[in-house]
Amino acid sequence: MTISTEVDLSQLNEKNRELQQLVHPDRFANGSDAEKREAMQKTSLVNEAYNTLKDPVSRLQYMLSLKGLDMNAETDTTMDGAFLMEQMEFREQIENVRTQSDPLDVLDSMSATLKNKIAGLIKDFQQFYQQEDLDKAREIVRKLQFLNKAQTEINQNVEQLEDELI
Amino acid sequence: MALLQIAEPGQSTKPHEHRFAIGIDLGTTNSLVATVRSGKADTLPDVNGQHILPSVVQYQVDSVIVGSEAKQHQVNDPKNTISSAKRLMGRGVEELREQYRSLGNTLPYEFSETDSSVPRIKTVAGDKSAIEVSAEILKTLKTRGEKTLGDELEGAVITVPAYFDDAQRQATKDAATLAGINVLRLLNEPTAAAVAYGLDSGAEGVVAVYDLGGGTFDISIMQLRQGVFEVLSTGGDSALGGDDFDHVIADWIVKQSSVDTASLTPGVQRLILREACAAKEKLSESDQADITIDFDKTQTWYGVLTRDILNELIDPLIKKSLMSCRRALRDAGVEKDQIMDVVMVGGSTRSLRVRELVGEFFNTQPKVDIDPDKVVAIGAAIQANALAGNDPDGNLLLMDVLPLSLGIETMGGLTEKIIQRNTPIPASRAQDFTTYKDGQTAMAVHIVQGERELIEDCRSLARFELRGFPAHVAGAARIRVTFQVDADGLLSVSAREEVSGVEASVEVKPSYGLQDSEIERMLKASMEFAGEDKDARSLREQQVEADRVLEAIDSALAEDGEQMLDAQEKQMILDARAALETARHHATDTQTLKDAMAHIEQVSAEYVARRMNASVQKTMAGHKVEEFDTSDQPQKENCLTKSKIEENT
Repeated sequence: MTISTEVDLSQLNEKNRELQQLVHPDRFANGSDAEKREAMQKTSLVNEAYNTLKDPVSRLQYMLSLKGLDMNAETDTTMDGAFLMEQMEFREQIENVRTQSDPLDVLDSMSATLKNKIAGLIKDFQQFYQQEDLDKAREIVRKLQFLNKAQTEINQNVEQLEDELI
Repeated sequence: MALLQIAEPGQSTKPHEHRFAIGIDLGTTNSLVATVRSGKADTLPDVNGQHILPSVVQYQVDSVIVGSEAKQHQVNDPKNTISSAKRLMGRGVEELREQYRSLGNTLPYEFSETDSSVPRIKTVAGDKSAIEVSAEILKTLKTRGEKTLGDELEGAVITVPAYFDDAQRQATKDAATLAGINVLRLLNEPTAAAVAYGLDSGAEGVVAVYDLGGGTFDISIMQLRQGVFEVLSTGGDSALGGDDFDHVIADWIVKQSSVDTASLTPGVQRLILREACAAKEKLSESDQADITIDFDKTQTWYGVLTRDILNELIDPLIKKSLMSCRRALRDAGVEKDQIMDVVMVGGSTRSLRVRELVGEFFNTQPKVDIDPDKVVAIGAAIQANALAGNDPDGNLLLMDVLPLSLGIETMGGLTEKIIQRNTPIPASRAQDFTTYKDGQTAMAVHIVQGERELIEDCRSLARFELRGFPAHVAGAARIRVTFQVDADGLLSVSAREEVSGVEASVEVKPSYGLQDSEIERMLKASMEFAGEDKDARSLREQQVEADRVLEAIDSALAEDGEQMLDAQEKQMILDARAALETARHHATDTQTLKDAMAHIEQVSAEYVARRMNASVQKTMAGHKVEEFDTSDQPQKENCLTKSKIEENT
């Protein structure tokens, strides 16, 4: 079977609904406390699985864990120096966004740039993963984690600016 | 035991009698109750034919008046007549002061000093918390439901603003407990509205529900598909609503009349607000409204509020709501042009300006053809009916999300997010902590809710003290704290020391909620007040519950008891069953019956889990897993097993 980094979202959603129909607490509103608890835990699990597969970065991380690589337990976190430099510059840009005349527009375009980068890295991952070059694949996921954090920071800045505009 | 009713597709479970359940829309200004009868959901009127119950409670020395009659006393008895109690739910006095900035920064009621974290309003009938006030409203609606249906109620679905935080949700649930209501589910108001709208119109696709009520604002982006209502994101403001429109108009009146704000008595303040509200409502139909205020016997003020001035006053408030819409769209990953319909809910969406600006924002004509007052109660009734078990073959499913991120305080007063906002619920997440001192056997965890980085900018929910784990050297203990959010959006916490496997006890100190002991005291007081034979009633309730458990366990055992249980396990369940049956017919106190039920639940817990696993596996088995993942089937099971281990450890 071909291992793919892409996920068919509509099928994932369909499957999620199907499982929720079986385990969701609404199905056990009349149930005993034990059933209600079980339903809550099962649905939490289904939700966790769904989230893991839906988000690209956590999906890739999960794919690596299937190969026995646990990203969370890593101690070796050396990164490619050029990438780190680029990241630092990007962060600086986010920090200084308030000096721009239209910071929201700047953040929007930064966000678009990030999305492109993320898409590119996911393609690279696919290639390494297929070639069983797991070290390279892992490095990609590490980079993606950085980019995810940058995205979160952009979003936070956007929200804060929006709040201030009110 | 609903689990035990799982049937093969096509096979129906045996018919059972209809169980009555109600849906309650507990609103800031108005409340409603609805139910499903003969397959049709509708709101229930009172004896005078009125469907809407104003959310106003007047306390007299020896009686309580709820609704329209109480509303008439707002001006002449402002201290004992409490309206908009929903705004006070789950809030501390300081937070309330923030909310009531208009009209000279005065709170509408006199609060008494107490050591409880829940503010209490001084009335002639004693100090009353917002929870007790809400309980009076809920009681009135419950009684209305019972009288109309002529039967005992199975329970109720009570709606809350989607943006309500944990403390506000808990306060609502406490109010229901005080009112003697079995809460089947706390349901988010926009989700309820979407159920009513979706089932009625048959619409499928992505919709936005814009819900502007008297005191709260919600926006939910939802996916509607074949009876499944999936919330993609939600946002809002739990202190923004039509009340605020009244307040800005009232401020305008005060400014125009140049009256001395210090001279405004609570009665006159209510009067100004009432006139402000009347002018606002008039401007939904005409271009200007005349306002007359008698400040006192000598001083009367006349003025004219035009629609232009009104728009200028309320535009900033509406724009605030549109910011929340922007955020919700972004969180859902949905573009404006993907929104099929914008459904308008809540009395304040009658405002023409609101409709105009919302239409402009989403670039579509908002749907205003449903009754914005009734739709939430009707949606709640539909879900209540399904949850009560009246719809065994239906596939109504409501998938909701956590409105605000949950986090804990870390070093330096910072927040670490544990569960992100807009995560589907129920959700659980485990977090490991360690000790920083040798021999440490207890630790405190401060839980907050909100999006900001600094702890002081988030809302404090509770402080948990974990105690009783074994002493280790610093850093050697591993305390795993599991945060569980249930389908009502309520958080619970459990903790366990991993090295020794010892369960730590968790003591919760809610920052703005009632302690269990306080609820108990209030319950007792209200029972005495009601003067009914509480013991006999609760025994009867437990007997009904016992019958249900017996019926469920029998049908489960008949179905798969042989396959799933070994002889010993089966015997244990049968013994517990026999004991419960004896207690059902001979016990004269509720405790014996409760104990018997707890026992059977305990011995059948594993059986329950096996049955649920079997049904899940059955669904998984027929499918190729590449449908939604890259792994083959055993690996997919790994995923669940792995997370299960993470959760259970």
